[in-house]
Amino acid sequence: MANPNLQSSESQGMNTENNSGHLADPATSLYGARILQAPVELVWRVWTDPEHVARWWGPEGFTNTISRMDVEPGGHWQLVMHGPDGTDYKNHSVFVDIETHKRIVFDHVSGPVFRATIEFQDLGRTTEIRWTMQFKSPEQLREVINVFKADIGLQQNLDKMSLYLSELMRASA
Amino acid sequence: MSRRDVFQAIADPSRRDIIELLSEGPLTVNAVARQFKLTRQAVSLHLKVLCECGVVHMHRQGRERICVARLEPMQQAAQWMQRFHSRWEQSMDKLDRYLYQLQTQEDKHGESKSSEQ
Repeated sequence: MANPNLQSSESQGMNTENNSGHLADPATSLYGARILQAPVELVWRVWTDPEHVARWWGPEGFTNTISRMDVEPGGHWQLVMHGPDGTDYKNHSVFVDIETHKRIVFDHVSGPVFRATIEFQDLGRTTEIRWTMQFKSPEQLREVINVFKADIGLQQNLDKMSLYLSELMRASA
Repeated sequence: MSRRDVFQAIADPSRRDIIELLSEGPLTVNAVARQFKLTRQAVSLHLKVLCECGVVHMHRQGRERICVARLEPMQQAAQWMQRFHSRWEQSMDKLDRYLYQLQTQEDKHGESKSSEQ
């Protein structure tokens, strides 16, 4: 931290090593990861098929209506989260980069604005998912944590997806 | 080699972050490294220390190394903190008793005064 030059050279070194995207900067981004007990094909389907997404997306107690979800670069995604108290939360995103079974990048264009990068790592019978939400400034990150509890939201999204997948795996076993 | 215990494990902020991340479930070394603005080598070193301290366990799964948190030793740190909490509570109890004593004495004093009148 003390030496900014060292910092940037370290980051570059790591980018080439990982060979994918950016590093999570704790000052402006949220990060969460899980090893999911399902093969990457199923994890991918559960993330990209709106019927599946509506079943696990959002905080505890919320339901969802997805009117549009075109999973391709430039494709639009419109999702309304219905809160337990009846409040609707409209979400509009645009997909930026899609690499099947590997990576989804989307920009959340309605407020709060952020870029999400979701990486999928095939581990055989299991899949690791790494989820980064990149905000524009430390102030914006603080605001989404204070107002929307986005840090808890990210963890709940991962937990709910994990739970939904294990239900699917049990049902098909 | 320097001391390897739970206190050494939690002495570094990056290592505290790693423990927190892994407390949600096992992850590959790559997923742990993703969270930090550190080199892979630095993250590997932190993981090595955490393993030696007994709060993280690593095993291979195919080409990947999986890190698993072992949170039981954290009890040691919690217990150590608890001692100070207990001591604080005892002091509060003593203060409480002393205040009660003072008040009852004053009440008696007041009573005897009023009976004099």
